[in-house]
Amino acid sequence: MKAGRTLACVVLLIVVGASLAAGWLAPAGYAKQYREAADAPPSAQHWLGTDEIGRDRFARVLYGTRISLLLAPAAALLSTFLAVLVGGLAGYLGGVWARVAMAVTDLFLSLPWLFLLITVRALMPLNVSPLVSVLVTFLILGALGWTSAARVLCATAATLRSSDFVCQARASGIRGGRLFWIHVLPNLKPVLYAQFWISIPVFILSEANLGILGLGVAEPLPSWGSLLRELEGLVSVGEEPWKFVPLILLVVVVTSFQFLLSKQEEVAA
Amino acid sequence: MTTGAHTRPTLLSAHFSVRYGKRAPTLRNVKLEILQGEVVGLVGQSGSGKSTLAMTILGLLDRKRAHAEGTVQFEDRDLLQLGERELRSLRGRKLALVLQSPLSSLNPALRIRTQLREAWRAHAAGSSADCEQAIRAALEGVSLPSSDEFLRKYPSQMSVGQAQRVLIAMAILHRPALLIADEATSALDVITQAEILALFRELNRQTGMAILYISHDLASVAEICDRVAILHEGQIVECGPTEEILSCPQHEYTQRLMAAMPRIPRTNAAQSRPAAASAAKATGSG
Repeated sequence: MKAGRTLACVVLLIVVGASLAAGWLAPAGYAKQYREAADAPPSAQHWLGTDEIGRDRFARVLYGTRISLLLAPAAALLSTFLAVLVGGLAGYLGGVWARVAMAVTDLFLSLPWLFLLITVRALMPLNVSPLVSVLVTFLILGALGWTSAARVLCATAATLRSSDFVCQARASGIRGGRLFWIHVLPNLKPVLYAQFWISIPVFILSEANLGILGLGVAEPLPSWGSLLRELEGLVSVGEEPWKFVPLILLVVVVTSFQFLLSKQEEVAA
Repeated sequence: MTTGAHTRPTLLSAHFSVRYGKRAPTLRNVKLEILQGEVVGLVGQSGSGKSTLAMTILGLLDRKRAHAEGTVQFEDRDLLQLGERELRSLRGRKLALVLQSPLSSLNPALRIRTQLREAWRAHAAGSSADCEQAIRAALEGVSLPSSDEFLRKYPSQMSVGQAQRVLIAMAILHRPALLIADEATSALDVITQAEILALFRELNRQTGMAILYISHDLASVAEICDRVAILHEGQIVECGPTEEILSCPQHEYTQRLMAAMPRIPRTNAAQSRPAAASAAKATGSG
């Protein structure tokens, strides 16, 4: 298991490193069109060929990786923050606060997540600039992905609320807000970290799902989701295998995260 | 209200009942009086309502679940009539608490310095230097090192005895008038227990702080308490000077408690030693 985690760590470092070095590894950029070589197979100039409008697929994979790997932790950060706000506080306050917060959480959990994402994204304008589309996608993922983490945090905060050290702190005259901030929150950290890391692969896949449906990051910016859309019109698996590189990369990165998170999940449980 | 033998003024005078929901009262017509600078023991078995009594005095009962009726007069104020804000201003400053398990009563995620600083800042608005000075004085008062190295420690890096002393230091930071020690020595080994009891006695003598010493251990109560109250099934069945109660228990429950006190049996070796000595004398070998 340790070897698996080391390998996962190395794979992720290579992927992140390559995406950060995209400008150097693929100087042509993700938007430049080679119209004379549209839909070309791999060559010395285009390692993974070009897409149907002649853009270098290797460059798009690298830049897409960068966006997806930036977007997912950002969304995970937002969702973890919301989970603390809703779940952590509700668990700490207890009583009617906890009941209302958990009822809302259950409602969110019972909704089909993908359809909810599609609905919310569809309510927003489609003709947005690429940068805005990145922000909108990140906000939607973060704003809708807090529910499971909130449940875990609510239960943990409720346990902490009735702990001896919180009782002792209350007996010292420390007021409610400070009690939460100084005494409860630091003890939620292990669960927070675990929830944050666990959310990342989930958001990578969610962004890919939105991208496949054309609701994620807008063109010409690439993301794994938008790169996977290329597979829609594929007739044969063996015909153009290089088009599967974004899919393979997605599977490899998500699997690597799962290996790395095996310890974090134990903490969260 | 003071009894005839006492000359000190009353610090706390309580007469109340507590019930959780619609169940039978956990505490029934409990009458307890603590004089200034007095050490009062509260003895009872597990589930007799000792901790509920402590939490009622401190106003830390869950008000949604528990209902307290009666009065708890403390320095001319009825604690049961006070709001959360007023109670909070008394907790830590006038009324302090030391709980049973020192390692779980300290926040595992915070350094000792942070925990003591938070307790100090709850009732003081001085500078960091004032805070540091108060912390160091409190630690020295409980015979703990006040070095930076010690203050940087987490509770898990200390012994149980040290952790209990830190809790006591935290409790006495603001020189409270009443310290409630709820089974504060029950989780300690006998040597550490003796040290902590001596510390309570010393603090009581030096600062004039009254102590409500809650325990199920009669031996430790006998060690430090001026008076003792016996709590049985939510009622105080007997109360009086420690020596009197322990030497001549009136209530049947107190008598049972006394009878249940462990005694160190005389070992065979100890019993046979005098016999062996006299035998040796008789044979002239000694």
